[in-house]
Order: sequence, then structure tokens, then C-alpha cells
Amino acid sequence: MSLCLFESVISRPYIYKAKVAALILSLRPQFATMGKATHSSSSSIDSSKHPTLSSASSSLYHQSKTNTDLSSDLRLGLTLSTSTSLLPDTLSNSDSREPSTDWPPVKPPQRNTVAEKGNNRQRPIFFVKVYMEGVPIGRKLDLFAHHSYDGLIATLAHMFSITILYPNMDRVHSDKDHVLTYEDKEGDWMMVGDVPWEMFLTTVKRLQITRADRC
Amino acid sequence: MLMAHSFPEEVLEHVFSFIRSEKDRNAISLVCKSWYEIERWCRHRLFIGNCYAVSPRITIRRFPELRSVSLKGKPHFADFNLVPQGWGGNVYPWVAAMAQAYPWLEELRLKRMVVTDDTLELISRSFKNFKVLVLSSCEGFTTDGLAAIAANCRNLRELDLRESEVDDPSGNWLSHFPESCTSLVSLSFACLEGEVSFSALERLVGRCTNLKTLRLNQAVPLDKLPNLLRRAPQLVDLGTGVYSAEVRPELYSKLAGAFLGCKELKSLSGFWEVLPAYLPAIYPVCAGLTSLNLSYATIQGPDLIKLVSQCQSLQRLWVLDYIEDNGLDTLAASCKDLQELRVFPSDPYSAEPNVSLTEQGLVSVSEGCPKLQSVLYFCRQMSNAALLTIARNRPNMTRFRLCIIEPQAPDYLTLQPLDAGFGAIVEHCNNLRRLSLSGLLTDRVFEYIGTHGKKLEMLSLAFAGDGDLGLHNVLSGCKSLRKLEIRDCPFGDKALLANALKLETMRSLWMSSCSVSFGACKLLGQKMQRLNVEVIDERGPPDSRPDNCSVERLYVYRSVAGPRLDKPNFVWTMDEDFALKLS
Repeated sequence: MSLCLFESVISRPYIYKAKVAALILSLRPQFATMGKATHSSSSSIDSSKHPTLSSASSSLYHQSKTNTDLSSDLRLGLTLSTSTSLLPDTLSNSDSREPSTDWPPVKPPQRNTVAEKGNNRQRPIFFVKVYMEGVPIGRKLDLFAHHSYDGLIATLAHMFSITILYPNMDRVHSDKDHVLTYEDKEGDWMMVGDVPWEMFLTTVKRLQITRADRC
Repeated sequence: MLMAHSFPEEVLEHVFSFIRSEKDRNAISLVCKSWYEIERWCRHRLFIGNCYAVSPRITIRRFPELRSVSLKGKPHFADFNLVPQGWGGNVYPWVAAMAQAYPWLEELRLKRMVVTDDTLELISRSFKNFKVLVLSSCEGFTTDGLAAIAANCRNLRELDLRESEVDDPSGNWLSHFPESCTSLVSLSFACLEGEVSFSALERLVGRCTNLKTLRLNQAVPLDKLPNLLRRAPQLVDLGTGVYSAEVRPELYSKLAGAFLGCKELKSLSGFWEVLPAYLPAIYPVCAGLTSLNLSYATIQGPDLIKLVSQCQSLQRLWVLDYIEDNGLDTLAASCKDLQELRVFPSDPYSAEPNVSLTEQGLVSVSEGCPKLQSVLYFCRQMSNAALLTIARNRPNMTRFRLCIIEPQAPDYLTLQPLDAGFGAIVEHCNNLRRLSLSGLLTDRVFEYIGTHGKKLEMLSLAFAGDGDLGLHNVLSGCKSLRKLEIRDCPFGDKALLANALKLETMRSLWMSSCSVSFGACKLLGQKMQRLNVEVIDERGPPDSRPDNCSVERLYVYRSVAGPRLDKPNFVWTMDEDFALKLS
């Protein structure tokens, strides 16, 4: 039984995908108890064919030159027999594997901090209200989802289907354009774009889009 | 021989005092008997890479005037849970012996050792001029032991608890530093979990005007940082606590102002839980930073890029793979002094990549950073072509550790093993001292390593190779090899036994989940008197199984101290007496 399963794997060398590994590893218990061979228990399958595993020392030097197919199944077999630390059962689910405590080689402090947060990627959020002049119903926007004024302007332009001007912009403005303003912590209304982005984030309370000819 | 007698001892001693390096000191002591004698009386610093290689008694007998001792205990793979709990490395016997022999001991640096509160108490009481305590990846003590150190070591300059596991029952240890203590130069407690008294910390920092290194733990909130920085504007090395708080302009401006005042800062670390809005507060110090450790900072790519692009003097960067390939492109363009890069996996256990970090990032950095010599890189794909490019770009590489997260992953472009790629690394990087391999590897890679890795001192292998020839090539070819650690490789008895003498020239060999038989271990232990051949096996005594059964773990190291006397019940020393000691 075991040989047939092995041969179906031999035809595809260097496969390492989880499913195949699970298949092989499900055979593991048999090999683990075969304590016979000095090299590895996979020799019980192929020792008659494979020169490496014979006890003649000169055979060691032939190994690298002989056929690759056997060496691939040998490798697979050897993986099977020698790896006691890969968790076999959990490898069958290729989406996520239960953390093996010894692979990959990451130290515990790192592992704890990161594994908890790794999958969630929980970002902080900061929603502010955005009003368009003349429109009573406002929108809300997460400022932390953007990293610069460019991104913010682009999102707003898309949200309200308008063109927005801001300082240092290379464009002649027309009456139809809009400007973006914000209310800061002190209650004053300011043009967006004058201070560094990060400083803006610490003082902005809400946004308003007004017509350019009003400013 | 006449020359040795023509100088009085005092002159020779004076000359020797200019020789600091351990290797040179060892060489001096081999010249002749009188030089040996003179040298041993004036040696003040000692580094012992394996605490079981020599005994306290032998050490003290040879070097009666030590002031500084460094000791390492567990094998490196203990960091990854490959060494069972309770294996050993307890430093107490050393401290007890040194308490008698070296009342003037000033410095103790321990790595991967078991340190108890009693030991710390003994240290604090026995050495009147104790100055430096560094506990790196140690365990077994609580903050009670730290309280004793704080309270009793009047001249303490350095207390550094790197990555140690410490129990924190009371949380008050910092308050045990007396008000008269002003000598601290370095205080690092980043690995502690509990809170410290903030007022005690502020007062301590305030009165230690020579404080250069301060590494806080996660329990120190961001709003405490500005006050601490204002009291220590001379800081060179800062580890922040949590770097996140509600967005508050006044906190931001206090923080920014405090960092502006720290004109000497060269190294930053900490950064647990970062809120990107607060990052610009450190921009003023970025240009002067030489070392930045963001390995706990879950900051995303764009913010990382903004930060890194301002650190033009950076020599060392440790970062999570959130930096992604384009972040590494920025690094390559901005940080031309970069010497060391470590990229850690943000999600090591998922089969699918969660970030866009590939081999390309490392290739970029190898192209853009001419001084890059030390790399630790976790990624999910690699190619021979990329490794060849890296090797050609950076022949000055001295430490190269690559971890492809999926074991035995082949070259993702060609599906071939990565033998040629790593072969190129050892061939082009003539000064390579440390190498860790991963991915799909056959015996061929070991041919290359044996042929070209002449300066290689430490090699780490996992899931690699086809058989004994691989191990044989490494052991017979790598002339400078000191430490070899292997897990899950099909290496057996032949290579080990054929290269037994080589093992005496090395510090240690670790093999776990390989194919080394119990019989071979016994043979090795019986033949090599100066090696400790230890079988670590949690399945019970190895002789309860047949001789050709593989052992779980094997740890072989040279020693003049004989077999360990403090072995736990899952460790057996293979020696002549073993056969007589059947349980």
C-alpha cells in the first residue's frame, strides 16, 4: 500500500505543497516505528535500489550523480521519517497552520507580539464629518485611511464628484472649482494643505467643501 | 627563550595590558611557560562560550584576577524551543565559586542561562564593586532578584535584561534603587511585563546624569515619555514604551519637543503598538540615528517608508515585513551606510503571504547598500538568480541568514533546489562567518560550502541535504567551523564518526531529528575523551531501545571539565562509564 502511494508522488519531484505533505505525513506512524536502518527509515522502501543507503562507504560518493527521481522520493521519504517536529495533522489545512513552536525560527517575544496582531492588521480609525456647501446631509471619512493630502483630495473629489483646489496646486482656478477647508481644535476654519499632514491630523475636527469664489 | 627572561615580569605585564582580544591573549599564553604564568595573572576579562566546556574551579585556578566574566549556557536552538525545559545552564555554581574567588568582580554577562533570585541576591552581596549585569535570553528569576541588585549594588552602571523571561510578582523593584544611586549608565528592562513605578523611574533617570541607554517596557505609556526624555537629554539609546495614545495635540507637541532636545540619540527601539500620527515626533532625530529596531512595530508600509527615508545615517535596521519590497527599495536608496538588516515575519504561521515582501526587496538592498554585511531575512519565496545577484553585489557579506518560511521550498521560478544560489553566496562572499540555510537543498549545496566556506564559523541547517555526504563535506571542508546546528536533516552516523576529530576543534555540534543512531553516539563518546557526547531524549533511556534507533537530539561539545554533574533525567552522557550506568 505504502509503495503505491509513494510512486504516485515520485512522478512529481520537488512538490512541497501542503496537501501532498499531508498525504505523506499521514503515513508517518509506520516509518517512525521502523527503527532498523541507520540512515533513515525510508531506506526500508528503497534500500535495495538506492546506492546511498548500502553500507559500502564508496557508495556515499555516487549519490550525487545518480538519478534524480529516486533522490526526490528519497528526500520526500526522508522528510517524512526525520521530521518529528512539523505538525503533520495541521498541515492538511493549507489556509493556516497551527503555530508549530519551533518553526519558523522566531523567538517567543516576537512570536507573541506579532502573531496576535498579524492577522488582524487592526488600524486605528479617525472618522470626521465632511459637508459640501449647500448640501445639508454630510458624509463621514476615515482620515487614517489616507497618508497624505493627495489621497484625501482624491477620495473627496470622487465622493462628491467635484474638483478640489489646494495650496501650491498648479492650475488656474475657475468659478466652478471648490476648496477644502477644515475646522481646527480652536474652532477656526482653515484651508487644508498648509501644515504637514501629521500635524493636520492632530488638529482637524471636521471638513467642509466650499466654492472657490467664496475664499 | 633568552628573550623571555630578559624582560622583568612587570614590563611584560605592562605590554600584555595593551592586548585586549581574547584570541591574542590565548596566543600569548602559548608562547612559553613564563608568559603563560604572567598572562594568567593579569587577565581580567574572560569569555566562556559554553559554560560546560570548563568548570568554575579550573577557571579560577588559572585566572585568579578576573574582573569581567561572560558565560553562555544553552545551545542556540533553545531560542526556538528545541531544547527541553530543565536542560541546564544554571549559573549558580559559577556565582558561588566566584563569590569566594573574585570579591572584586565587576561585570557579569550571561546568555541563555538559568538565573535564580538567590543567585541575583548572592551577586548583589558578594561583589562590592559590581558594575555591569547583562542577562540576555535568561530565565528563572523574578523582579525580587532585580530588587536585590538595585538595592545592594552601590556602583551599578549597567543593568540590561535583554529578552529574558522574568516573573513580575510585585512590580516595585525599581524603587529599590537608593536615592544615592547616580551611577547608572545603562538601564534596559524592555522584556518585563509589569508596571514600574513611574515616579521612581523619573527620579532615577533624573539623578543619573550619565545615563546613556534607557529601554522601557510596554507598560510605560506614551504620555510618560516626554518627561523622561526631558530629564535625560543626553540619551544615546532609547527604547520607548507603548508608542500609541489618543490623538492629543498637546501630547504630540510635548513629545516632539522632548525629542528635539535629545541631540545625542543614535539608537531607537521599543515601539510597541504604534500610532502613526505620533511618528513625526521622532523625525528630528532620524537624521542622526544609526540603529533602529522596529521589530515589534506593526506600522504599515507607507509610514515605514516615510520614517526610513529620513534616516540617512542608519547602519542597522530591524523591521517587520510590513516594509515590503517597495519599502526596501526606499531603504536601498536612502540609507547608504546600512550594515545590518533584519526583516522579521509579521505572520509566520499563515501559508499565504500577507504582505508583498519577496526576494526582490533583499536584492534591492544588496544593490543599493555597499556596506551591507549582515542579513537576517524571512520571506516566502526565493530564487537562485536572486541569491546569485545578492552574492555578486555583496562579496563583503559576513553574516547571511535566510529563512524561507515554507520548509524545503524550491526556487519558485525554476522549481530547482537552491543549491546554486547558496553556493554562489559562499563562493563570492569570502569573509562569510555565519550562514543559515533554508529552502529545498540537496547535498550539492554542502559540496559548495565545504569547498568555499573556509571562514565559516557558524552554520545552521534545517530540512536540508540528502545523506551523510552532505554532513561530511561540511565537517571536512569548513576549516574555521566552530558551531554547527542541524535539525531535521537526513544525516547519520557515517559522517559523524568519520569526522570525530573535527568535533574537538569546534565549540559544539547540535543535531536534532536527524538519523544518528544511539550506537554511533556511544562509539563517539567512548572514543573521544575530550568531547561530551550528550543524548537528549524524552522517550526514556536510550539503551531501552535498539542500538540502531535514532536519538531525538544530540549535543556534542568539547570540554575539559568532564561529564556534566547536573544533568536532568532526559540527558545522558556517552562515555566509557555509560555502559555501567544502566538505570
